[in-house]
Amino acid sequence: MTERVTVRENVLKENDRIAAGLRAAFDRGAIFCVNLISSPGAGKTSILEGTLEALQGTAVRAAVLTGDIQTERDADRLRRHGFPALQITTGGTCHLDAAMVRRALDSLSLDAMDVLFIENVGNLVCPASYDLGEDVKVVVLSVTEGDDKPLKYPGIFRRAGLMLLHKMDLLPHARFDPAAAVADARRVQPDLEVVETSCYGAPGLEAWVGWVRSRLDAKRAAGRTLSAEP
Amino acid sequence: MHELSIAESIADSVRRHPALQGGRKVRRIGVQVGDTSGVNAEALDFCFTIVVRGTELDGAALDLERVPVRFRCETCGHEFEPVEFDPRCPACGAERGRLSGGDELSLAYLELDDEEPGETRE
Repeated sequence: MTERVTVRENVLKENDRIAAGLRAAFDRGAIFCVNLISSPGAGKTSILEGTLEALQGTAVRAAVLTGDIQTERDADRLRRHGFPALQITTGGTCHLDAAMVRRALDSLSLDAMDVLFIENVGNLVCPASYDLGEDVKVVVLSVTEGDDKPLKYPGIFRRAGLMLLHKMDLLPHARFDPAAAVADARRVQPDLEVVETSCYGAPGLEAWVGWVRSRLDAKRAAGRTLSAEP
Repeated sequence: MHELSIAESIADSVRRHPALQGGRKVRRIGVQVGDTSGVNAEALDFCFTIVVRGTELDGAALDLERVPVRFRCETCGHEFEPVEFDPRCPACGAERGRLSGGDELSLAYLELDDEEPGETRE
């Protein structure tokens, strides 16, 4: 004879527990944390390089964790821009999980950062499942990919707060319908914000960097309101 | 391909469950896999077999239940299964369907042997 026991718990409960701890630490430090996700080659590292450039000389202190299956190359690239950047080499794993982020943060000081960018492993499927304690998942969709990506990979678009439509400078050469991509993404996630970006030429990264700064300001303001409450 | 990590998480969750105390044998493990969870059920089943081989969970069967994408209409509350995430509500026609199910990845149930090993029935 067998007995059936009802469980009903998230399979990734342990990851979620660690992520909740990270989120609490980011909230205490008023750190705005972005989990940047895209397919390989969409331009995550280049976007981050441009973003760090734009933040140099401002009051915003950035830090980057960058996930890669094998190499240290991305961290090497990112460290040239004046902020700490740490490589998380997953050794074959196709996504970052909360425990990897927690381990990496042991060697970075949370007191010395205002914005933490986590560059996930290039992959539109697996990273969607793992909460890293971030404030927001940002999905990058470049116009050299298909505009049908949102419906092909609904999991990540469903969980994203912002979509960067990237490589917009290449739009004249690509068969990509931005309006269709946005409409499809909003079928999956009606509240999705969209910012158009490019690393070369217009529209550039200004709107994206402004978005990050305004979200950081909003988080700080919310933190002040909370701590002012009796 | 993160099904191996997911399979390990399932095995860990099962091993930690209090119902296993006393070494009761697990026969079946029910897992709900939503269509937008990004998990391939076939690969998960294969990975789970490998992960538990030679452990106390060896031989336990995974019962993978697919959960289709569901929308709930924000205008009239009707629940429906959309085609390609089309938000148009079949009941009232409003284009206000919002995802309400299909992204779960959860441990639903365990089926365990009644008796502890070595226990004899009089």
